[in-house]
Amino acid sequence: MAFAWKAAGLTYNRYLAVAARVVRRSLKEDKRLQAERRGEMDLRFAKWENGKQGENKSLGEANASAMADAAGQEAK
Amino acid sequence: MSAFRLSRVALRARPTKFQNALQRRGYAEAISDKIKLSLALPHQTIYKSTDVVQVNIPAESGDMGILANHVPSIEQLKPGLIEIIEESGGSKQFFLSGGFAVVQPDSKLSINAVEGYALEDFSDEAVKSQISEASKIAGGSGSEQDIAEAKIELEVLESLQAAMK
Repeated sequence: MAFAWKAAGLTYNRYLAVAARVVRRSLKEDKRLQAERRGEMDLRFAKWENGKQGENKSLGEANASAMADAAGQEAK
Repeated sequence: MSAFRLSRVALRARPTKFQNALQRRGYAEAISDKIKLSLALPHQTIYKSTDVVQVNIPAESGDMGILANHVPSIEQLKPGLIEIIEESGGSKQFFLSGGFAVVQPDSKLSINAVEGYALEDFSDEAVKSQISEASKIAGGSGSEQDIAEAKIELEVLESLQAAMK
């Protein structure tokens, strides 16, 4: 496989997000504070079943575990 | 007598016709030697269809310089420095976090990236401290995903450090 991060189940979208995050953190203080707000993401979702709201989960954490699962599946 | 006058007129007419042929624009002048560059981030437009002479980009397939009339192509960018040689002869450099460069058939180049800053906006200490932090994680016993992310960070930071020297 061409990219090591692909083998770990990471998506290209995640790769870009990580690369952008580290670029933002490398900026000088004034620009960094402004830029880092762009990296924040707080989305939550819940699955509704039989008319009842399920557990409220963070989208970021759900994505991370899905990527770990995908890597585990590929290894099998 | 009238036939003789007619030939005189024809003789005089010829040189002007010849001049016209010389003034006609040829293919070489009609084509511009500039490339229209659009460099866009999600939150900012740095270049908007601006005529530039050359753009050097760090593509996954290797570093390349793009001039006018480049063959159309799509290149994935590595985190790295792009250099833009402007019409005035000066050049500008930006560090991009990664994205895509699309060369369109009519001498147009679109570059999309998530983050892009000039080199003077980066802090030396921030890069150094992040390198030591990321190498700790990359060599540690975290999850496969954490190690992979730390390795991505290292790739970006090392490219940035090399560019800043």
